[in-house]
Amino acid sequence: MTMTVVESWIEKPLERFVRDAGVELALLLHPSGQVLAQHGFARAVDVMSACALAAGIHATAGELGRMLNGRPFRGLHHAGRTRQVFLAEAAWPRGTYIFLTVFGPDSSLGLVRLYFDELAAGLVAAAPAELPSAAPALEGNFERDLNRNLAVLFGRA
Amino acid sequence: MASPFGAVLDSVIRVRGVRAAIVASERDGIVVDAILQIGQSGDRVAALAAALYRKARLSAGAAGMGAVSFMQLEAPHGRICAVGGGELVLIVVAESSVNVGLVRVELLRAAGALTAAGGAAE
Repeated sequence: MTMTVVESWIEKPLERFVRDAGVELALLLHPSGQVLAQHGFARAVDVMSACALAAGIHATAGELGRMLNGRPFRGLHHAGRTRQVFLAEAAWPRGTYIFLTVFGPDSSLGLVRLYFDELAAGLVAAAPAELPSAAPALEGNFERDLNRNLAVLFGRA
Repeated sequence: MASPFGAVLDSVIRVRGVRAAIVASERDGIVVDAILQIGQSGDRVAALAAALYRKARLSAGAAGMGAVSFMQLEAPHGRICAVGGGELVLIVVAESSVNVGLVRVELLRAAGALTAAGGAAE
């Protein structure tokens, strides 16, 4: 399985997370649904679908948390029969990002949570100081940016 | 609400040299109940030790050795011991000088209580 990233500084922390936590799939994306890095996906269309769903789940869970608790829920875990999904928010100076990972019986929720905290810290440490702040995606640019990122990840740039 | 594992943890933490006792889910590595000292990261130890115990149990099964009863990890500055009961695992962090025999007896005694509370393992 290969890992691909839109920005190179993301690669090392994400690679370490995948190795240590033993996950099958990993996806880092902007809350708008634009992909930044992926591990384990074979097709661009799968990444696009996973990003759209993850962004939707994140937005829904955030709103639900605000309604019930006065503040957004930041993490979500779903345990299937053989595979589990973990979705959480990672914040670093550039803004907030969504992290989605899928793991099987070789890992556990405890390990994923443990190494997710390390991933979030690793991304903060690795992020270049001169990065611009993450601006909200504009409708006009969204598809262009999405296609550009997918092309970078799947070697069609 | 009091945890059903209070008595189990109390009996283990009383052994001289035991620094932490944790009941965690074997599958998830999530802490169910614990007695920790200030500064100890129960979540971290539970996640890693439960994963280790699970792999040891699966390895023993694959090698046709039967069920794992007691697992011990020896490191330069201490020991980690664990027993499983149902879907739970009881993890002990102890000093190197701890009486391992006593820890083992207490953990094996506790395994019955874990099985009663934790249901059957996979």
